[in-house]
Amino acid sequence: MKILKVEHLKKSFGGLQATNDVSFEMQPGELAAIIGPNGAGKSTFFNLLTGYYKADSGRIFFKGQEITNWAPHEIVRLGISRAFQVSNIYPAMTTYENIRQAILTKQKRTLNLFSPAAGMAKKETRELLDISGLSSFADTIAGQLSQGDKKRLELAIALGCRPELLFLDEPTAGMSAEETTQTMELVKRLNRELGLTILFTEHDMSVVFGYAQQLTVLHLGAIIAQGDPGEVRQNATVQKVYLGEEA
Amino acid sequence: MKRSFWLVLVFIVALALPSVIGEFWVHVAIEILILGLFAVSFNMLFGYMGQLSFGHAAYFGVGAYATGLLLLKTPLPLPVCFFISMAAAGLAALVFGYFCVRLTGIYFAILTMAFGQLIYYIIFQWYAFTGGDNGLQGIVPPGWLLNVRHYYYFTLFIVIGALVVMWLISASPFGHTMRAIRDNAERTRFIGINVRRYMLINFVIAGMFAGLAGGLLGPFNRSIAPDLCNWQQSGIPVFMTVIGGPLAFFGPMVGAVIYTLLFALITGFTEYWPLTIGLVIILVVLYLPGGVLGLVQKKWIPLHSKKLTPGPNGGAGEEI
Repeated sequence: MKILKVEHLKKSFGGLQATNDVSFEMQPGELAAIIGPNGAGKSTFFNLLTGYYKADSGRIFFKGQEITNWAPHEIVRLGISRAFQVSNIYPAMTTYENIRQAILTKQKRTLNLFSPAAGMAKKETRELLDISGLSSFADTIAGQLSQGDKKRLELAIALGCRPELLFLDEPTAGMSAEETTQTMELVKRLNRELGLTILFTEHDMSVVFGYAQQLTVLHLGAIIAQGDPGEVRQNATVQKVYLGEEA
Repeated sequence: MKRSFWLVLVFIVALALPSVIGEFWVHVAIEILILGLFAVSFNMLFGYMGQLSFGHAAYFGVGAYATGLLLLKTPLPLPVCFFISMAAAGLAALVFGYFCVRLTGIYFAILTMAFGQLIYYIIFQWYAFTGGDNGLQGIVPPGWLLNVRHYYYFTLFIVIGALVVMWLISASPFGHTMRAIRDNAERTRFIGINVRRYMLINFVIAGMFAGLAGGLLGPFNRSIAPDLCNWQQSGIPVFMTVIGGPLAFFGPMVGAVIYTLLFALITGFTEYWPLTIGLVIILVVLYLPGGVLGLVQKKWIPLHSKKLTPGPNGGAGEEI
């Protein structure tokens, strides 16, 4: 069964057709990317899939279950989580607390009113701190982290939700070349070792071609090409509207 | 450890207080306890959830009227009346909170105030049931509480019990979820929390403890008036919390001590109480933005100083 299936999804803002009749599928275990120039509708597409926006029409299925226009928290509970493009963390809480909050939520412990949170989910939180390379910043107030570390924390929070399907909106935006490689290697490991199905958007072509197994190219809200990196690179339309002289 | 030392000290002082001060000041102390409980319950919304309620007196008032009416019209024992006060205030908070938690910021404040005024006018107009603007008179506590010093200890233990429960809630996963909502509601939604539902639960809890505080008031004053549901009354916990510090659990309690003592002292020789408290608030807002406890935390407990520096492995380029 397809882990994600999108049928004829449409969303417009005023006169702007931000998502124009997009149909899309993902197999379990896939590591796929969506590329496209700024304003192509990548983030809007993510926002529709995760309940941030309501679709005008079209349907979204997760493992056969329709989730079109569900509330964000319902979608997350089903097993889909996301990292945002502009890091969306808890700036006043410590790095440790940021991650623990996601884990406690996944463990359905957040309606516990009378036991101290301090001793809870220690092992799981430490583990994620370790995986995301943030162990030495466990007690740092998250708002004081560097941009790159905020993005890593953003990813760690998304992982704390224990998703089956993970959306990463420009996971390496604002990172140095070294950080970018580290992050993408982590993404690859999550996909290979934990079997996480991951869909990410990216503007850096080298990153995309190096990691994604499947590519989808968006332009003006519509899909103009789909396939493995080799196919997409050869596609004439893609070369014209996006890759330009580069290809 | 340092905090527990201060708590024990305050507890001992609170126990010894009635034997060293006169009856007038015991009255003031009871008022501090009741209003302090009211303010701490308010701060569950303001400090922990990040929303300013300007109608919290409504739930205080519902609690006060519930216990007042029950004492006047039924033979129920006082503790049962308090439970009913909490339930009644919680129910009112559930009904009105259902709408309020759909909004945030100034709109939340205005809607809580509007509902607060609604309750005020109902109580103010409903002569047959609430006595209207005459209020309720002759609310007498049971015999063993007629002595004001006894009533002080009774109030002290109830308030401590309520504070312990609220303290536990603030340290629980639920309490941390409230902080998360305050810090970033959108992120909280996207980790799987139904933010409105959690805000509503918290609104009800805050309403219940305001109701308990209200319940304590009637048998203490022997009378209640609709004014205690009014929006001016809703301003009192706001002032107390701003003075004491919204980001510390005991901040509103400290604010209650300062506010109530000032009131008792100032009104003794001048009628310019609003002017005085206005000046205090201006000074606090300008020079002590974290309130008194905020200053204490900053000056004497360098709470986060450790946490701001990265660990020995340091930098952003650490191995994944």
